[in-house]
Amino acid sequence: MAGPCPRRGAVGRAAALVAVASFTALAAWPAGALAQGAGGAYAQRYAEQCASCHGARGTSEMALVPHLGGQPAFYAITQLFLFREGRRNDHPMAPAMSALAKGMNDGDLRGFSDHIATLPPPAGGATGPRDAARFARGLALASKHHCTGCHGADLAGGRQVPRVAGQREDYLLIALKGFRSGVRLGYTNAMGEALAGLGEADLGDLAHFMAHAVPGAAGATAAPAAAPASGGRP
Amino acid sequence: MHATTSRPGANPSPGRSRSLGLRLLAAAAIGLIALPASAQQQAASAPAPAAAQEEPFWARGRPRTDVAMRMAPVPAFPIPTAADKLPIAKMKLPPGFKAEVFASGILDARGMRQGDKGTVFVSSLFVAGKLYAVVDKGGTREVKTLAEKLFLPNGIEFHKGALYLATPKDIVRYDAIEDHLDKLPAPVMVYDKLPGDVPHGWKFIKIGPDGKLYVPVGAPCNICESDDRYTKIFRMNLDGTGVEVVAHGMRNTVGFDFHPKTGNLWFTDNQRDWLSEDLPEDELNHVSQPGKQHFGYPYCHSGDFADPEFGWGKSCADYAKPAAKLGAHSAPLGMRFYTGKMFPAKYQGAIFIARHGPWNRTKKYAADVVVAFPDGKGGVSRVEAFLTGLVENNEYLGRPADVMVMKDGSLLVSDDHNGAIYRITYGGKK
Repeated sequence: MAGPCPRRGAVGRAAALVAVASFTALAAWPAGALAQGAGGAYAQRYAEQCASCHGARGTSEMALVPHLGGQPAFYAITQLFLFREGRRNDHPMAPAMSALAKGMNDGDLRGFSDHIATLPPPAGGATGPRDAARFARGLALASKHHCTGCHGADLAGGRQVPRVAGQREDYLLIALKGFRSGVRLGYTNAMGEALAGLGEADLGDLAHFMAHAVPGAAGATAAPAAAPASGGRP
Repeated sequence: MHATTSRPGANPSPGRSRSLGLRLLAAAAIGLIALPASAQQQAASAPAPAAAQEEPFWARGRPRTDVAMRMAPVPAFPIPTAADKLPIAKMKLPPGFKAEVFASGILDARGMRQGDKGTVFVSSLFVAGKLYAVVDKGGTREVKTLAEKLFLPNGIEFHKGALYLATPKDIVRYDAIEDHLDKLPAPVMVYDKLPGDVPHGWKFIKIGPDGKLYVPVGAPCNICESDDRYTKIFRMNLDGTGVEVVAHGMRNTVGFDFHPKTGNLWFTDNQRDWLSEDLPEDELNHVSQPGKQHFGYPYCHSGDFADPEFGWGKSCADYAKPAAKLGAHSAPLGMRFYTGKMFPAKYQGAIFIARHGPWNRTKKYAADVVVAFPDGKGGVSRVEAFLTGLVENNEYLGRPADVMVMKDGSLLVSDDHNGAIYRITYGGKK
């Protein structure tokens, strides 16, 4: 699962190399590379409460469970908030997540989401080999439905919008189905509207495309690292 | 408060967001020749959804330029700002006025109404979906959550002991609510035939001096023609009967009030997106002939010019002009005529307006409270800044959503961005 992570600095790149590191390995991480203070506390709590399903570095090995690596803090805190409110009922694990989130105060939501944002993007979300025809159909649908308008041209998300590039394909399919049926609601119905008119096979192709839409996997060379985030609300 | 979520590396930057995706999407145009022919055919034969369903409603009409493609509604943070972090020190007010925190920890605080016994009821919208009450406990104020998991419950009104609550779908009433703040009584249905659309379906409601309930139904889109259920302000009896149109051609009003002397309805109206950074200007309108005036949408904007798509064959001369123009995309929401005794005499009968600040504009501004001074002839003589200072480095430090005059003449301002309510008092010479 581990792979080069061209968008990150040295820490992220090294972190990606241990994307499936156990907590033991994490504990051996040089102290300076971990977030200081409260961030460190939430790294510890993440390891204890989240890592067994979502992976020590945010790359999930568990069916249907999303990668958290590379998600913007804003998106992560919004989802934790919606779980805590009992407003995410679209996923088999939602009750468990809601139970967990109900024990979190506002500071915890911030701490966990800030820590999640430090985890490296996953190397990919493939749960099987890439199918060229499905990838092409998904790519065409992503273009037609303007996915990049909010998720970014590289589908890496930003602020309240999640990274979908390289997310687990099985999770993406649940998410897309949930949005289309209205079972999953964000603050608005933007996703429901964006997906209107798409059939089940289309959603599968979209999920397949996004899961494989990572540098290297599409025949594209790695995107160069660029300036740090600034301005430009999505 | 957003600073903690915007570390470099945690968010994408516009500058680095192009290469892979553009290459992928370019591949859709030219790279497909490398794919098997069958894949091309399947890709080409993907079902085409209706054009109107391709994008979220707020994005329709958006130009295909890079800057516009990155502009979306300003996201709301799901945690209210702690009282000691609220931007009180940043606020600028005219001499003699002072701002303080009235209540904090009210996630997504939007509409405000005061009950007979002093309770301040607070509505919310997308983020919280809750109804709150701020209760004075003799020096300290307690925030209670009265109801939750509500559907965009922005519209509230207090009348004869009851709280009316409007969602995009229906209007209910909680009787004797101030006697039941620990457990709300079962809601009584007032009206359940609203269209229920999400786009501009959330409400601002008020009961007029005629004893009728005023209920708007905004456009179910950014810019479109729609059927008779939309783009109007209606009024009805308090039991939901006798529905009639008060104003036509309204796009999205989230604030109105009645002139203290004439009783006429005045309303703010948010104009269309994506036309230009600087056009159209949002409106303050005056309904002088209930049911007979059309305020232009979707044909004429700001009383000035015809819509580039829907305005052909239309003339702005045929539509009611706004009493005042309030700035492009400035998002004027709650408004009240000032009838209190605390502020200087010049504010008597003037209109305080909360401007939420634009999302549909590259350069952010407004996010303030302005005052419009009626000229006594049905128009407005001037619009003055009142509470400013909440835009810094092109980010909002706060976003006023509603204003309310308290019984003591002070002015409350809700801020949904921070989940707080501020109180403005005057201590200077009158």
